Amino acid sequence: MPVNAEKEISKLWRSLHRAQGEIFKTYYRWREVAIELAGPESKPLDIGLRAAEMMGKDIGKSLLPRLNWLKGEEGFMMGLSRSLAGMWVTEGGIASAEKGENPGEIFIKCTRCPWPTAAKEYGVPMEEVALSRERLFQTILEDVNVFFNINLKIEMLKAIPRGEGMYLFRLYKEN
Amino acid sequence: MAKLLFEWDYSSYPGAKTYPNLFQPIQIGNLTVPNRIKYAATEDNLNDHNGFVTDADVAYIRSRAEGVVGGLCFMQGVYMDEAQKGQGYVGQAACWDDKYVEGLRRLADAIHGERAIAGFQLMDCGRVGAVDVDRGHAPSTVPQRLRIFKPMYEMTNEEVKEMVRQHADAAIRGIEAGFDVIEISGIVGYLISNFLSSYTNRRTDEYGGDIRGRCQAMVEIIQEVKKVCGADIPVGIRLCSDELLNDVKGNTPEESMETYKIAEEAGADYISCTLGWQESIYPVISRDIPQGNWLYLAKRAKEHVKIPIQMAYRLFTPDRPNKAIGDGDLDIWEMCRSMIADPLMPKKVLEGREDEIRHCVACNLCLARLFRDAPMTCYINPTCAHEHDESFTPKPVEEDDKKDVMIVGAGPAGLECAYVAGMRGHEVHVYDKREEMGGTVLEASRAPYGDEELMTCPHYQKEMCEKAGVEFHLGAEVTEELIQDEMPDTVVLATGPVYSKIQGKGGDRKNVVNVLDVMAGTAEVGENVIVWGNRKPGIGVALKLAKEGKKVTIVGREKSAGFDVNPSFKWRYMIYLKQNGVMAYNDCDIEEINDNEIIVKTYDGYRLPVKCDTVIVSEREANDGLKNVVQAEGIELFVIGDALVPRNMSSAVHDGYRIGLRI
Repeated sequence: MPVNAEKEISKLWRSLHRAQGEIFKTYYRWREVAIELAGPESKPLDIGLRAAEMMGKDIGKSLLPRLNWLKGEEGFMMGLSRSLAGMWVTEGGIASAEKGENPGEIFIKCTRCPWPTAAKEYGVPMEEVALSRERLFQTILEDVNVFFNINLKIEMLKAIPRGEGMYLFRLYKEN
Repeated sequence: MAKLLFEWDYSSYPGAKTYPNLFQPIQIGNLTVPNRIKYAATEDNLNDHNGFVTDADVAYIRSRAEGVVGGLCFMQGVYMDEAQKGQGYVGQAACWDDKYVEGLRRLADAIHGERAIAGFQLMDCGRVGAVDVDRGHAPSTVPQRLRIFKPMYEMTNEEVKEMVRQHADAAIRGIEAGFDVIEISGIVGYLISNFLSSYTNRRTDEYGGDIRGRCQAMVEIIQEVKKVCGADIPVGIRLCSDELLNDVKGNTPEESMETYKIAEEAGADYISCTLGWQESIYPVISRDIPQGNWLYLAKRAKEHVKIPIQMAYRLFTPDRPNKAIGDGDLDIWEMCRSMIADPLMPKKVLEGREDEIRHCVACNLCLARLFRDAPMTCYINPTCAHEHDESFTPKPVEEDDKKDVMIVGAGPAGLECAYVAGMRGHEVHVYDKREEMGGTVLEASRAPYGDEELMTCPHYQKEMCEKAGVEFHLGAEVTEELIQDEMPDTVVLATGPVYSKIQGKGGDRKNVVNVLDVMAGTAEVGENVIVWGNRKPGIGVALKLAKEGKKVTIVGREKSAGFDVNPSFKWRYMIYLKQNGVMAYNDCDIEEINDNEIIVKTYDGYRLPVKCDTVIVSEREANDGLKNVVQAEGIELFVIGDALVPRNMSSAVHDGYRIGLRI
């Protein structure tokens, strides 16, 4: 039986989107559990940021075997930035990494992020979504910095959940 | 005058004439070593989990001591701290208290019993330690690159000094136990190498900074150990000549040579030259690295220091080290894996019995096992780590129990079984429809990246069979009639696997060929090739064809390609598949074969077309042929190797050996 490419691709596409949707649902369901267990005194934002730290730490570790200093400082930073942008793409976003005008500066841009939409369904404040992403990226850098004996910083310049139309992060080397 | 522990005269042995440099004495410190051979300290995970030496380890070491024919035989490195931060292997011997001396003495006595020189190694595993505790110690808190290793905490200045003292105390215990040489391990990611490397040492105190500062802990250890050893007991150190960590800002080769010079200045009597860390992204000792590849590093080390240089690392045959010693590039030939595979390897060299050597095939299964807390096992040597177990030793059969044994198949399973059964006194006949011995290894050894070394296995087995009086019937296919005519007491079916049939449409097309025919060069293969089967045979043929310029795609049922290859080697294949542009559809099957394409079906039902002129079948199944015939005649039957369950050469050899003992 010949392959109907359109049908096969659309089936795969649907499966991918379903799997991506599960990422957000799973995360926000667990967030609700954590808030409930933490009790009424706890602040949901603190819990969200702590979760971002734990995930960032783990993602940072998983990057260590893949990053390679032999590509030079610029190549290394670009590789790292592409990995961060790639995380968004895996989740269903549109993201890229671009060299900045100054040496040792790279911008990571995301023009479509699925997290705010999902967060809305679970009643999560938009500021928490923005700050969690920033904390996630910052924590990823922690182990990377120690491992490669460098001092990279990342700052969030724009955020979709703040209504700024895109996420814009600046990765740079602090002397 | 240098001390000589045991007199050895090699002059009448053939090996001493063929390899004269290997059997010349050498002085290390104030000790004369009668030859240039060393079994290097190798973890074996055979001791109990509290660090006490076991019977298994004593027997393991005794057989290696016999092998070095008067040379150096080292026990595995011991850890030296009660807190177990320095322990890197669950079965590693301990030496942090006097209570361990008695067990250690058994090892020294076993080595001396073979008139060899007993070596004791001090090994704090540092960054790759803490196997049984939550955190290890290191010069700095650098995150682990590999998740299997525990997090580290930075040692205080006092803890570094305590660690130095632990080395000296352990050396005292080693001497008390009767060892003749003390060695400090400073390699592959263990604690001293962590201090030496710019990658893992970020300290700014006296134990960090430039290369001399990073060497300070090593210097203090050498000096303190030298103090307790006195003039008569040499102290050596194992050091990386090249860390291969340039991707993470490790030491440069020049800095590594600086560590050699500083170790010599500190009083080391010899250096064992190694390279690479467990974290290095480059291969060092796997089969894809040519033999003798690293000798240039020993030569470079010789150019930097005056003390003797020793080296292992892909030196599996005596010719290269013999030449290197003659050329002044090396002083002592070390062995680890080659004596795991054959403990008597150098003894056989000396006695002119090189064709009886069971050669290591550099698969690194031994390492894969150790890293997963399992006892030492050798891919190719079924008796490895069973030296203490009487049931693994072939015993002669009583005259009345002697059997007429028919072995069907002269592959690694059949040949292994044949010589073991033959040695025990059975009358053994090996039949194979082919004219050549080796079974599917004949084809498998044509795969690239060093697989020709696999043929050392059937070569060894053939030699052993001939010595055991096994009779060969090559070019003779075993049929029902032949079995009925011969009516042997026992039949061993070692016929190899049968190759699966593609169940989908087009499975019987002419462009569907067998992996063995492709490897042998007798099948025609197009430009776009599909290999059906993602285990080792599929990978081997895929790489061979990809290197010939074909576009190769692997389709296989296993979740990952190379499922049957041990992890310490599998990573090499994954890199080579990628480098050669081989695409792998894992967890998939072939649904249909058409004129110029196949339809691949994923485990969950997706279908995709892949361009293809030739499909190569490497999927295998058990081989039931002749089983019913043998059973119907009431003959004792054994099925071994791939005929039983298609696996790998190791399983074939181990099956063969075990059944050889049972018949």
